[in-house]
Amino acid sequence: MARLTRKQKRAVKRAAGNTVNLIFKLFVSVLFLFPFYWMVTTSFKPYLETLKFPPTLWPQDFTFEGYVHVFQELDILSYIKNTLIVTGTVIVIQFFVNVPAAYAFAKWKFKGQGLMWGIVMTGFMIPGQLTFMTVYFMFADWGILKTLWPQIIPTCASAFSIFLLRQNFKQIPEELVESAKLDGSSEWKILWRLMVPMSKATMVTTILFSFINHWNAYFWPLVMTRDEDLKPITLAIERLKNLEQGLNYTDIMAGNVILVLPLVILFLLASKKIIQAMAYRGMK
Amino acid sequence: MGEIILKNINKTFGNTKVLEDLNLKINDGEFAVLVGASGCGKTTLLRIIAGIGPATSGELFIDGEEVSDLAPGKRNIAMVFQNYAIYPNMTVKGNIEFGLKNNHVPKAERERLIAEVAESVGLTEYLKRKPNALSGGQRQRVALARAMVKNPKVFLMDEPLSNLDAKLRVAMRSELIELHNKLKTTFVYVTHDQVEAMSMADTIILMNKGVIQQQASPEVIYDDPNNVFTAQFIGTPSMNILPLKNGSFVGYRPEKVGLTPEETEAFYKVRGRIITREMLGSETLYKVQIISGEHQNETVMVKSLDSGFQEGQDAWVQVALKHLYFFDGKEQRIREADRAEDYGACVRCLKGEEA
Repeated sequence: MARLTRKQKRAVKRAAGNTVNLIFKLFVSVLFLFPFYWMVTTSFKPYLETLKFPPTLWPQDFTFEGYVHVFQELDILSYIKNTLIVTGTVIVIQFFVNVPAAYAFAKWKFKGQGLMWGIVMTGFMIPGQLTFMTVYFMFADWGILKTLWPQIIPTCASAFSIFLLRQNFKQIPEELVESAKLDGSSEWKILWRLMVPMSKATMVTTILFSFINHWNAYFWPLVMTRDEDLKPITLAIERLKNLEQGLNYTDIMAGNVILVLPLVILFLLASKKIIQAMAYRGMK
Repeated sequence: MGEIILKNINKTFGNTKVLEDLNLKINDGEFAVLVGASGCGKTTLLRIIAGIGPATSGELFIDGEEVSDLAPGKRNIAMVFQNYAIYPNMTVKGNIEFGLKNNHVPKAERERLIAEVAESVGLTEYLKRKPNALSGGQRQRVALARAMVKNPKVFLMDEPLSNLDAKLRVAMRSELIELHNKLKTTFVYVTHDQVEAMSMADTIILMNKGVIQQQASPEVIYDDPNNVFTAQFIGTPSMNILPLKNGSFVGYRPEKVGLTPEETEAFYKVRGRIITREMLGSETLYKVQIISGEHQNETVMVKSLDSGFQEGQDAWVQVALKHLYFFDGKEQRIREADRAEDYGACVRCLKGEEA
């Protein structure tokens, strides 16, 4: 057998490395995509097919009945409306709270800054499950339980977004701020005319994260709402479980597809910005 | 117009005193260059004038008006930063226009000013571009245009040429001098490069450790330095400084040394041996080890038009009395005019007449 030259050996090694790399990537992709695939295909299977064993990988009888049921049995548009109002309001309020806060933490020096930053970061770490009781009683006292506000107020500021934006603002050279001051800009103008446009990617990311969080919110609305007409879409999908005897997977999965569809679309549109925001950018 | 006066300026960062009781006057229309090594406080001083790094105490007058408490945008000054500080999210036009908009200049007037200034710095065809599509030199011009369009009383420049390549730097240097001649506005220019300072300044303000060492024209600061620091900072290579037996120092510039194979009648002469030789073109730079007299084994730099000396060769290092500088034990200059006695002592000491 002819011996391989050093060059050929290297080529074989490289090819082997690439193959392992590819197989690993495929494996991880399948791992993450399969539940998603399962949800989508199940939503198009007839009820009886979802109970079959061994399960079918692709719907044998393709049907839309799951989707029809969801729209027939639930006033889904009203739930979507609630989710949209809550999510939209939160995003707008958060924008006007997070951006100035992040700017102050990034570019100003003031007394108690370290302590305040510590408090913000601590807030980041405390789960809602610890605070919901007291917050619930507080809202009861305020008499706003029969409105959407209990779903909005507690998330008017996002520690995570403030953190992300602060890191981004810190990367913007001090001279730009100083130059703007010499150009007669107020702090307010510096923030909205320079900082925000220069941090577009991070802005989009924080908005997107907020959107995902509130679109998917389950626990908080569950404890904060009793009236059906205040509930978001996540709780409505949950209700699909209890509508008929036994679990109707077709309906549940159809509901879930409706739930995640906007998120998928948004993510596909904004994925470039998200990657940009997460990667460190040196600015010249 | 744009006269700047600083009175008893102090600046501390935490516990570090950067400037202490500094007094300075920059005349209207002057091209003043603040020069010194990194960390000497020159940029701090510039930032105090700009108002973006206010002094801890002291008074600042621009054009006779106390402006210490005035916001940077209201001082009628413009600043060019080392990294240009151009707004990356705006076009060239947007950058130039930003300050005008903030000062509520009407649109028609803005358009006219922008067209004018863009024309004068050669940016007209780039007005719609974003900064990331410009070269270093063009960005520099944007920064200049942005400063010029405001028609300020004072231009502040913080090492504006240090990011340019050597060739462009020299070109921009003469453009800045031209600009100053045209505008006749006060320029305060910070640099660590003494060549830049010498070539551009009407007045050089040389700083060291937060203290002004000397403020004078380039000629005076070169020919008549106040102290050892100034003498050594200005001029390349720096002045040779040698100790005298009475505790003072003698100094002479490398370019004022006569290097000859034979002894002559010069006031100061020692035997030396050439250690290294650097051919610079019109001149040759020698490192010479002294092999005779009081300064034996010390090395001095000599710049000579004669490129004929070889390494290892012996020669006479000779300096006329008028080219010798004397400094006292505190490194302050001893001038014949005002300290005749000390001067005489130094001269005698050098001649070996008195220990």
